[in-house]
Amino acid sequence: MKSVTKSKMIRMPLIGDVMMSGARTVIGIVMGLVAGGILIALSGVNPFAAYASMLRGAFGSLPAFSNVLVRASPLLLGGIGVAMGIKAGVWNTGIEGYMYLGAIGAAVVAIQPLSIPPILHVLLSFVVGMLFAAVWGLIPGYLRAYKGVNEVTSTIMLNYVAIYLTSWLVSSPQPLAEEGAFYPMSKLFQESAQLPILMRGTSLHPGAFIGIAICLLFYFILNYTPFGFRTRMLGSNINAARYSGVDTKKQVVFIMVIGAILGGLSGAIEVTGLKHRVYMEFVTGTGYQSVAVALLAGGNPLGVILTALFFAALKAGGATMSIETGVGASMTDVIIALCVIFVIAVGVDGRRRMKKKTAKAETAVTTEGKEDEHVV
Amino acid sequence: MSFDLIIDWLQATLRWSAPLLLVSIGEVFAERSGIINMGIEGIMLSGALCGIAICYLTKSVTLAVLVTLLLGAVLGMGVAYLTVSRRTNQVVTGLMINMLALGATDLLFGLLSGSRHVRVATFPTLFPKSFHSIPVVGKILFQQPVSTWVAFILPFLAALVLYRTTWGLNVRSVGDNPQAAATAGLSVIKIKYQTVILSGIFAALGGCVLTLGEVGYFASGGMTGGRGFIVMAAVVVGGWDPLRTAAACIIFGAADAAQLRFQAVGSVIPYQFLQMLPYVITVISLTIMVKRSRVPKTWGAAYDPEDV
Repeated sequence: MKSVTKSKMIRMPLIGDVMMSGARTVIGIVMGLVAGGILIALSGVNPFAAYASMLRGAFGSLPAFSNVLVRASPLLLGGIGVAMGIKAGVWNTGIEGYMYLGAIGAAVVAIQPLSIPPILHVLLSFVVGMLFAAVWGLIPGYLRAYKGVNEVTSTIMLNYVAIYLTSWLVSSPQPLAEEGAFYPMSKLFQESAQLPILMRGTSLHPGAFIGIAICLLFYFILNYTPFGFRTRMLGSNINAARYSGVDTKKQVVFIMVIGAILGGLSGAIEVTGLKHRVYMEFVTGTGYQSVAVALLAGGNPLGVILTALFFAALKAGGATMSIETGVGASMTDVIIALCVIFVIAVGVDGRRRMKKKTAKAETAVTTEGKEDEHVV
Repeated sequence: MSFDLIIDWLQATLRWSAPLLLVSIGEVFAERSGIINMGIEGIMLSGALCGIAICYLTKSVTLAVLVTLLLGAVLGMGVAYLTVSRRTNQVVTGLMINMLALGATDLLFGLLSGSRHVRVATFPTLFPKSFHSIPVVGKILFQQPVSTWVAFILPFLAALVLYRTTWGLNVRSVGDNPQAAATAGLSVIKIKYQTVILSGIFAALGGCVLTLGEVGYFASGGMTGGRGFIVMAAVVVGGWDPLRTAAACIIFGAADAAQLRFQAVGSVIPYQFLQMLPYVITVISLTIMVKRSRVPKTWGAAYDPEDV
């Protein structure tokens, strides 16, 4: 009984709740950065100097900031893909695999010398890339919805399959591969299939702006369309969704495939905008980072924009820090993971009560004997 | 395709299954108590590096194993604190532990050696040299390092503990009905902590066996290659039973070994398809077996002691 009164006491009006959850994230991030600083100090580098060099590397100049935007592009698209899933209670951890498939799809079109306007060539590459990724995403989506296979395990397994598939496709006897390359890679993309560079002397391509636009689009879709409502319903109370006539299985497949399409677009942009080739391991780490982005944003598309830019700044700055101070670039991953861990660990009472209710609902389903709803 | 190749493959199957078997034991206990420790991939990776590092610095395999066990316990404690005490989402926690481990091992390995070529002694074999030359069994069994033998005996012990001891009963009851267990006077939180720490210890040991039992080197950037997730799949396929999970681990290990053998021999199938094999088999077996498994009742749910 004591806990009830306590939770009533901290009950605040809506704006207060928002402030609380915002504060929780900020506190978590600050704690993550402090812990990262301690680790930097332990490796024998002055943490203030390291963070200063990180800041300079991210915001010190216009080219530096354009680098942040370039790195934000895959995180924005991957992040929104995962965030959609989180809203629906699905863990779409396969972004890395979708990116590979999207890149392969884009490459199939982009290496062909087509006599069509560049804009069409690029768009065609995107479409084929997204199509490839959508088919890939259909596998874990179908398995989760109709076979009850946990999507975290299946998507991560499929990520490895996608990596080796890419490796095979860009190795020498295959039509995509560059012959006689010192490292297996695809042929160079046609000029007409490369995204334009927006700023001279940098590699700034429009990817980040596409990503931001898509985040805004999904903010609208999630909050103001029936599809978005069904998605959120699925995540907050699957039984209510089912009783009100939502085809929950179909919705799960939809969400997984949309996440896959976004991941595929992210991969296609990465290769047409930045790499201009496909090779093995061109996206290492982006998959997990996208999950971190979506988590820190709490599945909110607007939050995804902020956190993706924040992580991109950490990554771009981390590269500079690595060169200037000798702290390994992997420190960025460590800091990102620490931030998320602290954010989820700094819980508030209201959130806990909510979580308990979900757990209870799940148990209720089990006891009713609906075994087919179990996802393992 | 000869007799020798098959012998070689069988030997490799046992060796590559060993880390999976060890990791699976801890994970079965954790999941039986209701907590999915998805961080085993990261803990494995940490154990792999820890084993190599301590062995490199002190030249003692025993000390390396002991320190690895300690590290596993500490990391398991961290996961337990987050998932049991703070009631964080178990998937999120695991994924972030993995990301943390991936970054941290890369950093530490960079500090350990500039050249990144650390080679150390591996586990000794259990049987004297004279046994090794016995045809067939000599190669398959007696050339195995100690770790393989331990890994193949432990699942039986684990089954015994889970089904025949009071503690095992407690673990199962906590996973199936924590409220009833608490009413009966058990400390649900304590038991969950114990199992998750156990899963951390075994995951670290499995990682250590991966490096010290076989290759004797560490490759940064995820040398565990998703084996933690393969073990999680094995636990589901094996229906949360130590022995059936072990059988699933051996099948996945066999796929891994076959992949490496075929790569070495060279075949008409591109080697990348062989590399996919363990992962594809994992997904397929999950799909086939998932419906037949009996899930622990509060699998993956948070436990709140104030909840009635």
